[in-house]
Amino acid sequence: MKTSGKGSAPPLSLDRRRFLALAGAAALAPGALLARFSEGVPVGRRRMIQRNGYAVDAETPLDALTTYLTPNDLFFVRNHWNPQYTGHRGWALTVDGEVERPLRLSASDLRRMPRTEVTCVLQCAGNGRGLFEPPVPGIQWKYGAVGNARWGGVRVKDILDRAGLKAEARHLHSFGTDKPPVHVPPFHRSIEIEKVLADAIVADEMNGEPLPAPHGGPARLVVPGWAGVHWMKWLDRLSAQPEAQKGFYMETAYRYPKELGAPGVVLPASEMRGVTELFVKSSVTEPPARARAGSPVVLRGFAFSGAPDVVKVEISEDEGQTWRPAELDPQHDPWAWRLWSFRWVPSVPGPHTLWARATDSRGAVQPKDAPWNPSGYLHNGWHAASIEVES
Amino acid sequence: MTRRARPLAAVALILCGLLLADEVDAKKRPRRKKSGAAKTVRPNFDTRLPLLGTRLVAFPAGPGKPLAERACLACHSGDIVAQQRLTEKQWAAEVTKMAVWGADIPQDKREELVAYLVNNFGPGAPKYEPVLTRPVGR
Repeated sequence: MKTSGKGSAPPLSLDRRRFLALAGAAALAPGALLARFSEGVPVGRRRMIQRNGYAVDAETPLDALTTYLTPNDLFFVRNHWNPQYTGHRGWALTVDGEVERPLRLSASDLRRMPRTEVTCVLQCAGNGRGLFEPPVPGIQWKYGAVGNARWGGVRVKDILDRAGLKAEARHLHSFGTDKPPVHVPPFHRSIEIEKVLADAIVADEMNGEPLPAPHGGPARLVVPGWAGVHWMKWLDRLSAQPEAQKGFYMETAYRYPKELGAPGVVLPASEMRGVTELFVKSSVTEPPARARAGSPVVLRGFAFSGAPDVVKVEISEDEGQTWRPAELDPQHDPWAWRLWSFRWVPSVPGPHTLWARATDSRGAVQPKDAPWNPSGYLHNGWHAASIEVES
Repeated sequence: MTRRARPLAAVALILCGLLLADEVDAKKRPRRKKSGAAKTVRPNFDTRLPLLGTRLVAFPAGPGKPLAERACLACHSGDIVAQQRLTEKQWAAEVTKMAVWGADIPQDKREELVAYLVNNFGPGAPKYEPVLTRPVGR
């Protein structure tokens, strides 16, 4: 069974006649057929779901999340408020706090440092908020506030080594150039120093291009395996500190229950912790809307986790009583997503539902229902695909 | 198929392929160096789609509409409001939070605003359909 990778997009949705016409045209004019796709995504699927007109928030339709690397212009966008893009001119990254030698690095300074690349998933903490019941306030993301990209830049550890990190530093505070309106609190964040030193990079490239401004250019933090809230956009200052950052976006927002309560129950602040690692999750990207009894069809999707790898994706026809393994695409990097495919031969005509669940490299299994939490973070319930089977 | 018909069929297939190529990846398209020829770069998306952020939700008519527009739209579009399905308690908390953050909400109009929001964007409101747009600009 062939799985979809970058540059391939099987014509599952095409009827036989159109498929033959395309195949015939491809044999004689392959360039013409390839032109129907851009960066592996069919042109007809290259669109966004607007969740907010301004400040712009937009997610990717699932049927465009079919390639290992998500194209930059189809990658979801999240803004807290209208950003003011600084551009590269005059931009600099200040490094201060508990360091021996405070730094001010220009864009070209950053480019001259030892470079690294990380291919991993970026998912908004609130992806799937719109699926929770009872509803919670916030952007009602469904499935597409997530993407997988190759991030290029400099290890934060190398930057902090150059600055001379002191032993007192336990948290890295991060600041961006965007400014809130009126009395809205600023978006200031911090990350435990152990995670920063192990995995984080300051990225100024995305999928081989200069990091686009809507995605945080000139530079942003990349924190593999952790929710997007940690990936500070338009980064302009890192400050090593003994204590965690304070403020609304650390102490009130982006908090998750230490112990899950009943749906709809809001817990006191003392019972909440910060959102950090992503939860294991699988999504179906290409369910065939129709199938014929006795004829095989292929389901496709992606799976990822806060653990470095996904080891298993399974499909159930009976709401979890029995499971059969999907095939994982071999292409993978730590904290990147795995594309998967599942060949299904329906036997009985009528409406069918198939459920997908993933298991990560630490043994965490995707739950049937995502744990409800007051702000609707990290939804990861089983994803169901409805398919009508004809006789 | 006769011998004479075969080349015709091949030409027809090539033309068919070219017609199918009505959208061309602007990035990968080789540049032609014809002097004087107009450079045409076709977008790699459906141009009938609106640009991201150009088609915005308008608040429904009602006694609290001007109040909602004044309170909400200075900082964000109506989309983020219209997609919520919140109870009166949840809307009241949102209004209080936004007032603290600087939204233009007179103290004596808060109840009217909450009532408008619950009436239009409460738990029983019809399903929200978001706008589909072009890809994100680079």
